[in-house]
Amino acid sequence: MNQQLKKWTIRDVITTVLLSMLLIAIQLIVNLICMANDFVSMVLSIGFTMFICAPIYFLMISRINKRFVTMIYMMILGIVFLLMGNWYLLPYFILTGLICEWILWKPGSTEDPKRLTIVWTLVSLLYNGVNLLPIWFFWDTYYAFAKSSGMQQSYIDAYVRYYTAPGWILFILIFTSAAGLLGSFMGRRLIRKHFKKAGVL
Amino acid sequence: MRLEPFAVPVKLWAFCCVLIAVLLTRNGILTWTLTLFALAYTAMQRRWSIVLSYGSFYALLGCLLYAIRFHQLKMALFSEFHLILFWTLSPIAVVSWDLIKTPPGELSAFLSRMKTPTPVILGLLVIFRFFPTMKAEVAAVIQSMRNRGLTAPAFLLRRPLESLEFILVPLLLRCLQIADQLSVSAVARGAERPGTRGSYFGNTRLSGRDWAMISIWSAVTVIFLIVGDVRSWSN
Repeated sequence: MNQQLKKWTIRDVITTVLLSMLLIAIQLIVNLICMANDFVSMVLSIGFTMFICAPIYFLMISRINKRFVTMIYMMILGIVFLLMGNWYLLPYFILTGLICEWILWKPGSTEDPKRLTIVWTLVSLLYNGVNLLPIWFFWDTYYAFAKSSGMQQSYIDAYVRYYTAPGWILFILIFTSAAGLLGSFMGRRLIRKHFKKAGVL
Repeated sequence: MRLEPFAVPVKLWAFCCVLIAVLLTRNGILTWTLTLFALAYTAMQRRWSIVLSYGSFYALLGCLLYAIRFHQLKMALFSEFHLILFWTLSPIAVVSWDLIKTPPGELSAFLSRMKTPTPVILGLLVIFRFFPTMKAEVAAVIQSMRNRGLTAPAFLLRRPLESLEFILVPLLLRCLQIADQLSVSAVARGAERPGTRGSYFGNTRLSGRDWAMISIWSAVTVIFLIVGDVRSWSN
C-alpha cells in the first residue's frame, strides 16, 4: 500500500501541528519585523516569508508523506488569522488547502519534488490574498477598522497605492511567486544535503 | 476568597468570551476594561508571573500610546497602529497565557470527557506547549551558533543564506526529535487506547466559584459589547 494512503499515526499528527505552528510563527515574526518600513512590509515581506518557510514545508510533507498535511496547515493558518480578526481568511485558506490537496492527490505526489515546488509556489502566490482580499471585498470594513485602530493616513495611502495599481500588484505577485519558487529549490537542496543524510526521512 | 486555579471549562469559556468581545467591538481602545478584568482573573488564580510581566508590558503600551496621541511621539520601529493592535489583542493574550499554563493532563482529561477525537486533543496540546518549547530550542541554537562565532553581525550580513541554514537545520532536526519524543510519550500514556481518559488532577466537577466566574465572564462580555458597540461585517 502506498505510504500516502496509509492511516495517520500519532507521530504524524504531532509533527504536522508542530511544524505548522513553526511555519506560522516564522511568518508572523518576519511580517512584524518588516512592518518597520511600508515598502518592505507591503511589497517584499510575503516573498521573504515564503522563501524562509519553504524548507520547513518541504520537510513537513516529506516526513509525514500523507494526504491532508497542507490542508491542516492551511486550516491552522486560517484560524490564527480568524483570532486576529480577519474571519474571511479562514474560508480562503481552506479553499487554498483544497486546491493544494488536489494537486497532491495522486499517490506518490508527496514524494515528487516537482509537485511540491508547484504547490509551494502556488501557496506563495495565493498568500497575497491576506493583503488583497481586504481591499477587493472588505474595503469599507477595513478602512473603518484602520482609522479606528490608529493607522496613519500615510500608511493607508501606501496600502491603497500598492494594492490597487496594476503594475505594483503584478510586481508583488511575481516577486512572491519567484521567492516561493527559489525557497522550494533551497528546500529541496536542504532535504538532500541534511535531512536525508541524517536519516530522518 | 480562595485563590486557586479555575477549572478548564471556565478557562475555555473566558477565552471564548474575550475572543468574541475583541472580534466584535468597534472600540479597540476600550478593551482596557477586558484586559484589567483578565489580569484580575489571573490574579484570582495566583498567576502572579502573568500579572506582573503582562501588567508591566501593558502599562508600557499605555504610556507609549499616551505619548503618541497627546505628545506626538514618533517611534522608529513601531507606529501607533502596532501599539493599538497589541493593546486590542491584550485580553486574548492574557487569557491564552493562563490557558497555556494549565497542566496538559488537566486539559486532555477535560477534552476527552467532551468526546473530542484524540488527534484533535494531541494537536491542541502541541499548540499550547509550542511557545515555551520553541523558546528554549531557539535559545539553544543561538547559543550554539555563538559558541562557533556564527552570530557576528558582519558574518550574518555577508552570508545571510548560510546563516539561515545554520539556524534552520538544527532547529528543524530538534523539532523532529521533539515530535518523536512526544509521540512515544503519548502512546506510552495510552493515547491510542479507545475510551475516556482520566486525570490525576482531583475533582473534575465545577465548583460554585467556577460557575460564578462563568457568569461573571458572560456578563462582562455582554456589557462590554453594549458599551463598546458591535462591529458591522458587511461590506
